[in-house]
Amino acid sequence: MEQSGAQISLKPKDYKSALKPVWCPGCGDFAVLNAITKALAFMELPREEVALITGIGCSSRIAAYTSLYGFHGLHGRALALASGLKAARPELTVLVAGGDGDGLSIGGNHFIHACRRNQDMTYIIMDNEVYGMTKGQASPTTAPDWADSKLTPQGTGIRPFQPAGLALTAGASFIARGFTGDPNGLAKILVSAIQHKGFSFVQALSPCPTFRPEQMQWKHHVRALEAETTSNPIEAAQRIQADGGMSTGIIFQNDYPVFRPGSAIDSGMGSIEREFEI
Amino acid sequence: MSLAKKMHGLDTFLAYSVALEEEAAERHDELADMMDVHNNPEVAETFRKLAHYSRLHAVEIRDHSEGYSLPRIAPWDFGWENMEGPETADIGEMNYLMTTYQALKIAMGNEQRAHDFYFDISRNSPNEAVRALAGEFADEEKEHLELLEKWLENCPDPEGETAFDPDPPHMPE
Repeated sequence: MEQSGAQISLKPKDYKSALKPVWCPGCGDFAVLNAITKALAFMELPREEVALITGIGCSSRIAAYTSLYGFHGLHGRALALASGLKAARPELTVLVAGGDGDGLSIGGNHFIHACRRNQDMTYIIMDNEVYGMTKGQASPTTAPDWADSKLTPQGTGIRPFQPAGLALTAGASFIARGFTGDPNGLAKILVSAIQHKGFSFVQALSPCPTFRPEQMQWKHHVRALEAETTSNPIEAAQRIQADGGMSTGIIFQNDYPVFRPGSAIDSGMGSIEREFEI
Repeated sequence: MSLAKKMHGLDTFLAYSVALEEEAAERHDELADMMDVHNNPEVAETFRKLAHYSRLHAVEIRDHSEGYSLPRIAPWDFGWENMEGPETADIGEMNYLMTTYQALKIAMGNEQRAHDFYFDISRNSPNEAVRALAGEFADEEKEHLELLEKWLENCPDPEGETAFDPDPPHMPE
């Protein structure tokens, strides 16, 4: 990787790798990639000072499509990896990305604890309300009456998670929702999320043209949040419950204490060795 | 407020124009990559050609910009009428089974929007030099449209011949 000396004017495409994404044509995840690269170019962040950690799933492939340091980790464990990285390398800008299945099902426990721990990192859930890589099964954000999967021919009958509501309850200090049909708007949200001190959560509504083609109509339903960002969790909870999950913008932002674990490395090798003494 | 009314000087207009053309070129490349990956080489080639022409236009506008200090505008501050630049194709319109005819129809829509953008500025900018240059760019976009129309004449209209894939896509691991 080139060093930062000559990187003052990086363009969004400079944050992309040479790999061609294998996402289906029409997938919203392309726009998330574009939004991330636009945000990083706007912030003029050197590539070697940013890490993108992902889990497993269609959307989690995104790390490979960037020229950032990346780790395509275990299913649902992206936040665990990212938490460790941020603890060890607090100077890095740490981004985490994955899908609704990865982050809210197998990774659900990591999600709620990452919210309450409030380490300084940004987590993007690319929410298409379906497991796409495994050919279209209901995820934790799928509506209960979605009956297009062979596994759930009558729908799941289970109420979906509200990712923003879950994040708020778990203690996230920054909660936003963007839409891939508006990559520039999503990029603006990502800049605010990255600049926020603490755990910032961004739900990116990202249509799946293959298994949820009806989501291509989301562009007619998505609208901007009517209210200003609030720092009041009660107000935020009311808005999240009332907005139907289709309004975009920064819903909630507060300056909760940021968790910065002390680094044993700072105390020298002796202290590390003592921790391993039997 | 119409974007044309904001074009008070050539520097702002050129900044918008460069962004419009460079984004269009990058999007066409992105679409070509999508089609390459999904084994649709004919449409990939079409998008690759379109990317080439957008890039040529971007270089031409960069040349016009020599001697100007273009303002740095955040992507979300352009205030495009749609969510992205007028000549940027909507990723949501893509389908791996699309034909060259459909790709060209999308490209014509992009060129038409770009023409309308420049044409509006050529009529409504408060700056005379901006109006003149925007008029030139609008004419060029019109030429592109005419070129695409010629390409389209050589493409069969796939109406009624929707491609069928007995094994529809998932992630090709």
